[in-house]
Amino acid sequence: MSSVKKKISLAPEVVKLYKEISMKDEISIDELKDVTKLDHGKLEYLLGALTSNNLVERIIEVKKKVLLTEAGEIAAVNQLVERRILSVLKENQPINSSELSKLLDTDNREMNAGIGYLKKQGLIDIVQGQISLSQKEVEVSKDIQEILVELSKRNKVDIQNYEKTLLQRNLIAIEDEKKIIIKAIVKFEEMKTNIVETSDISRLTPEMIRNGTWRKTKLREYNLDVSPPEFFTGRKQPYARFLDEVKQKLVAFGFQEMRGPIVELEYWNFDALFQAQDHPSREWSDVYRIAKPSKGKLPEEDHVKLVQKAHENGYDTGSKGWRYKWDPMKSARLVLRAQGTSVSARTLVGLPIPSKYFSISRCFRPDTTDTTHLSEFNQAEGIVCDPSITFRDLLGILETFAIEISEAPNYTFKPDYYPFTEPSVELSVKDPKIGHVEYGGAGIFRPEVTRPFGIDDPVIAWGLGVDRLFMVKYGITDIRELYSYKLDWLRSARMS
Amino acid sequence: MVSIKASYTKILEFLGKELSMEELEDLLSFTKTEIDDYVKEEDMLVLDIKTSNRPDLWCVEGMIREIKGILDMEKGIPSYEVEQSGFSVKVDSALASSRPYIACAIAKKINLDDFHIKQLMQHSEKIDNSYGRKRKRSSIGMYNLSMIQNPVLYETAQKSHKFIPLGYEKEMSLDKILDEHEKGLEFGQIVKDYGIYPILLSADGMTLSLPPVINSNDVGRITEDTTECLIEVTGTNFETVNVVLNILCQTMADHGAEIYSVVIEYPPEIHKEHVITPLLELESITVKLDTVEKYLDVKINAKKAKELMQKRRFECKELKDNEIEVLIPPYRKDILHWVDIAEELAIALDYNKIGPTKWTVLTTGGLLPETESENVVREILVGASGIELVTNILTDPSILTTNVNLDKQELVIIENPVSQTSSVLRNQIFPNLINVVSKNTHEPYPQIIFEVGEVVKMDKNDVWTQTNAAFCIADADASFEDAHKRLHHLMKLLNTEYKIENTTHPSFTDGRCGMISIGDIQCGIIGEINPLILEKNQIWVPVVCFEVELPSIPTLKCKIKKTF
Repeated sequence: MSSVKKKISLAPEVVKLYKEISMKDEISIDELKDVTKLDHGKLEYLLGALTSNNLVERIIEVKKKVLLTEAGEIAAVNQLVERRILSVLKENQPINSSELSKLLDTDNREMNAGIGYLKKQGLIDIVQGQISLSQKEVEVSKDIQEILVELSKRNKVDIQNYEKTLLQRNLIAIEDEKKIIIKAIVKFEEMKTNIVETSDISRLTPEMIRNGTWRKTKLREYNLDVSPPEFFTGRKQPYARFLDEVKQKLVAFGFQEMRGPIVELEYWNFDALFQAQDHPSREWSDVYRIAKPSKGKLPEEDHVKLVQKAHENGYDTGSKGWRYKWDPMKSARLVLRAQGTSVSARTLVGLPIPSKYFSISRCFRPDTTDTTHLSEFNQAEGIVCDPSITFRDLLGILETFAIEISEAPNYTFKPDYYPFTEPSVELSVKDPKIGHVEYGGAGIFRPEVTRPFGIDDPVIAWGLGVDRLFMVKYGITDIRELYSYKLDWLRSARMS
Repeated sequence: MVSIKASYTKILEFLGKELSMEELEDLLSFTKTEIDDYVKEEDMLVLDIKTSNRPDLWCVEGMIREIKGILDMEKGIPSYEVEQSGFSVKVDSALASSRPYIACAIAKKINLDDFHIKQLMQHSEKIDNSYGRKRKRSSIGMYNLSMIQNPVLYETAQKSHKFIPLGYEKEMSLDKILDEHEKGLEFGQIVKDYGIYPILLSADGMTLSLPPVINSNDVGRITEDTTECLIEVTGTNFETVNVVLNILCQTMADHGAEIYSVVIEYPPEIHKEHVITPLLELESITVKLDTVEKYLDVKINAKKAKELMQKRRFECKELKDNEIEVLIPPYRKDILHWVDIAEELAIALDYNKIGPTKWTVLTTGGLLPETESENVVREILVGASGIELVTNILTDPSILTTNVNLDKQELVIIENPVSQTSSVLRNQIFPNLINVVSKNTHEPYPQIIFEVGEVVKMDKNDVWTQTNAAFCIADADASFEDAHKRLHHLMKLLNTEYKIENTTHPSFTDGRCGMISIGDIQCGIIGEINPLILEKNQIWVPVVCFEVELPSIPTLKCKIKKTF
């Protein structure tokens, strides 16, 4: 403490608190709260002014606090089980265990523990299931019982010798108790002459600004080291936000959005895409069927007849077709959209040329859910149609996606298979961590797909694995997180 | 996709060339196959094959056939001599309307080790399952030739007909096999649907098999010691049974076996003439190279095309006017159109060497008006402190009903759910939000969440998809007003007049629940969640919410999407 004391400005409330603290050698924060009738937040705030001026100090004492467990509380009232057994035995011996159990009114586990304890101490004998006292005047666990009773009265008691036993028997628990002690470094009386009572306040009020009193007012300095309270804002779902970004990029490339229904006719999901009616991907195991209603109505348009011809004999494309009798009833069955390409198929009706389309749609397949599979997921896909477009342009489109959307310059093209495109290409990306990852695919629609819709120009169909893209970008290893219900993640997932 | 297991060292041994795993992976990509896994201790590769229309590739032999072409180790269509075996199969006309077709061949001097026997079994199984549509369209049988007498009879039998099925010791009658044998339980329905029992017999009456269910125990067992066997494929489609036989014969021939033909004696009700199988006449397709060049944007003259097609194991003849005639190997039936040949040429050229263009197709891009509208709503609700959720559309019926105190709803139900928890489509969203709140009771409050998402609805005539917006606040102080002020804020910013009329709804507290309507159209619900629901879901704070159907808001451009 310097001999020349400087003047300190303190708010009246702070001075009052300072006086209170100076009255005692030390005071716990809880007591202080009681005396001052201040709420905790306000009290801490006022104390801040005192501690920052080195007038008072906060001492944190960590004490071990002994608490009774639930079992301990019960034993304190009802007596420890071994003591209860002894007192029963004094009246009713010898006794078998089931009678003992009735008189004790306890569960067998506890009773057996008590009997075991007494036997070990040599206080009882058990002969042919009959239990009796081995000595006349016996006493057991007297000290422990006393400790329990004292603890239950919240009295101080020395447990040192019995601590281990008490813990082992799960009668007590020991917790660290933090106690905050407030102590005046310099008493108020000594400082009195140096203190200037000001109207020190924390908040600048509208009145102060208007009437100019802010000039005479000292605004208290804040402690800037304190971490602020947690703050939850409204925000977009991280994966939805990522999909918004992908959409924006596609729009910037000149793609027009398209959407379709979730419950889909097999016609759009399969037939229009030249997937034969007995194709394995139309099996129960690969597509969700709707039980009720099970069927819809096929469109009353010319293309249905022409799709039928494409399947049966290739229509006018020069294809052999699948050579079977196409069944409109199968085509009218309802399924959950299993591939986003069904949305593209719908768009083929009256397709403008040139055109570029995309869709990000929820698709469904009867997969068992695990870290890499979901029965419900998003697919991004679309089409590009132009009289001049070629297979090399298709590779160019995939290259654009790899570089601009996937941000993955280390890509390769691989031959792929889709029933509705030829040639078909996979876009494979080498990720340093996970190896080859399939990011997307594309192909030129077979003429059996496009001709029934009156399209003579090549139509490129493409798809992007947006679920996978998001996971790689944000280091997510479990695909289920994308549709997470965890508020913790939704609130705090990083955006960059 | 088809998945097979194979040995890494055996693949290299059969190919006759050392390859690193990476080199093998690159070469396999030409056969549209990926290495899914490699278990080093067992020397086992798990291979995923993407082609569902190329059953010839679903085995090591088939892949190596293609790889040898790519590596220029072999070219053109692999061929082998076929001599007559003297065996014939007499097909009974009683099979005409059930499983009329059969293709047969005999293989001799078979020298297959345990690995290749297992490959053969695996391959047969994959073909039966996928290409054979779980044996409905076609199924394969192989028999020890030494026990069979000529001619073989393919006819029908009584249900009391008995033989010892594979893996059994005692005779069983046909109907008992269908009802009790494991293969009978798996494939018996195919036979039951026929109403007759197809049977394959040796001339002496010994049973070979009950197609497509199960072989006979001794004659129908192929082992490492088998040197001569009869291969048959029965089915409902003439082309399918023949191509499957061709695939198997090619595999046997690749291993150096001799292949002998069998005469199939069809009655006129089934096929107009007798057929000698394997049917190895080559089909062909004529391709205009100008068209292919334009399609792929690469230069290919006839000479180059011939080289490339041979690399892909085809044969090729140059015709005039820059046309080629491509001869197709007999184990392939996937060439339907010249675009299929265009792909073969592109693969032979290597996609990565063809290289991409800087493409341009000038069009104007844009989001759909409904997406723009949804984004407006999302933006407002985020501004109203909402945390956006994306929850499942395919969900648990109890989340939509009992969990929110509702009786049966008009829900779209899945016929073949994998689990009950994903068996219906949601018709509204707020029950999902209640479910989310119930899963987050350990997280700090207030919990303010929302979802703008698709729901599926139906009535007598229609099924449609539409977008709803649901908002939910869970907090110790949450009250009707908290939901109301946000709904009001939303509607105000959307410039929409709306009404809230008192209503009762089992999910909400009486007197604190309102029906939202715009004009004359009821389009949503708002209220305090019934404490019964909170208790049931173990949510220990009040919850208020609202849900609005966006297509009913006239200032937005959300439309319903009808299925048909």
